[in-house]
Amino acid sequence: MNWDWGAVRDFMPHFWDGLLVTLQALALGSVISFALGLVWALLMRAPTRWVRWPVGVLTEFIRNTPLLVQLFFLFYVLPEWNITFSALTTGVVAIGLHYSTYTMQVYRAGIEGVPAGQWEAATALNLPLRRTWTAVILPQAIRRVVPALGNYVISMLKDTPMLMAITVLEMLGEARLYSQEHFQFTEPLTVIGVAFILISYPASLLLRALERRLVR
Amino acid sequence: MAPPLRNDGNDGTDAQKRSPGRRSLLAGVSALGAVGALGAAGCTRVATASDNGGDLLDRLKAQGVVRLGIAGEIPFGYIDKNGELTGEAPELAKVIFKRLGVDRVQPVPTEFGSLIPGLNSQQFDVVSAGMYINPERCQQVVFADPDYQMLDAFIVRKGNPKGLHDYKDVVAKKARFATGTGYAEIQYAVEAGYKESDILIVPDQVAGLNAVEAGRVDVFAGTALTTREVARKSRKAESTKPFTPLVKGKPHVDGGGFAFRSAETRLRDAFNVELKKLKASGELFRILRPFGFTRAEMTDMTAKELCRG
Repeated sequence: MNWDWGAVRDFMPHFWDGLLVTLQALALGSVISFALGLVWALLMRAPTRWVRWPVGVLTEFIRNTPLLVQLFFLFYVLPEWNITFSALTTGVVAIGLHYSTYTMQVYRAGIEGVPAGQWEAATALNLPLRRTWTAVILPQAIRRVVPALGNYVISMLKDTPMLMAITVLEMLGEARLYSQEHFQFTEPLTVIGVAFILISYPASLLLRALERRLVR
Repeated sequence: MAPPLRNDGNDGTDAQKRSPGRRSLLAGVSALGAVGALGAAGCTRVATASDNGGDLLDRLKAQGVVRLGIAGEIPFGYIDKNGELTGEAPELAKVIFKRLGVDRVQPVPTEFGSLIPGLNSQQFDVVSAGMYINPERCQQVVFADPDYQMLDAFIVRKGNPKGLHDYKDVVAKKARFATGTGYAEIQYAVEAGYKESDILIVPDQVAGLNAVEAGRVDVFAGTALTTREVARKSRKAESTKPFTPLVKGKPHVDGGGFAFRSAETRLRDAFNVELKKLKASGELFRILRPFGFTRAEMTDMTAKELCRG
């Protein structure tokens, strides 16, 4: 095997393009999954089973089918019914939706972890339901689960290469494209491998620090 | 990934009981790894031991089977409805390899862009996908003489609303352009002035058709034959009239053929001899005709010419 620094240099402009797309997908996917996960978690606590059951079925379905299949479905099958998004939008929606079914369980754990006394105190103070949630329960619940949510961000980062399957040119897509044009595989793939470590390892250190500060 | 929250609360004692099992599992895994490494080393030796034209033909004869890399592209090389390997290139390979003393062919389906890397990493013995012969590819592999020549065509929406007939139109009308991974059409579009980073690269021609139908792009470029075949069943898209792409300002006719690893020139030469006989007797045309090829696609070009570009 021979290592060619020239190939690394030639690949770098493509790499930065790919990195930008990867980070976009990650950021938007995280926002969707955090928001939607909270919605699912709250809906699952609805008083009527007419809400709980459909939400339960839907989220179980999404969580128990592979992300890759969901990507293909959204990208190739939905256009049959004239619903078309750009490749990156499809990818962000798919990743966000998929991971929202995981974050939903994280939120559930956080909400259930709030001591019963807090609910009772809110009732004793005659707080309206809305204010009980926004001022008492959620601030405590979310504080507990920030590290767990962060883990899913790292996990999501590692799943972004799947977007390559639907023609999104994130890091792996750029590396493959470059490889197939120049028939050099070692250098671009190594570069993105190193990039993944350089992003995810500091991120996990950051999370550990966050965990020490937030969870007592 | 498993659902979160599966803390069953008995980690301590259980893990201790299980630990010898884990250790032997580890030993097993590392043993497997060692075997794998040995196997890999073996392969490398075979690959580098061929500096005098290669002995692949002898080995194929001994095995009685040759592995063909195909890209699932109708009509070049694909698996048909009955699960049988067919297509222009595999059918030709069956005839030629039989004459060379190799009785059976075995398909190895992959993506078009992975054909040359797969060939060079020993996944299969020959690329049998009607691959265009061009200078970039000639640096990686050796080609037999082309068995057909071909023009390009586009897949566009029904009625060709943007009036796209060649690469110049695509650039002039700022159409959104797609083609396949590793296709020669990428370069033709770039030569015509299309920005390379704006090209949408799809895995294959069916995904290309899908992209046109869904309105993600205005045009997908491929060989005249592929685009005709894939657009035939579509209600929303059609293929354009074949045209000649320009390379360095000159009209360029493409030729496609079989590719071999660079070291295996003896096999390539033996293949060429049989191919030449088939061309002379007109048998080649009879083999290719069922796949939509016409006399206009028969060629006398050589791989050498096409490798010069």
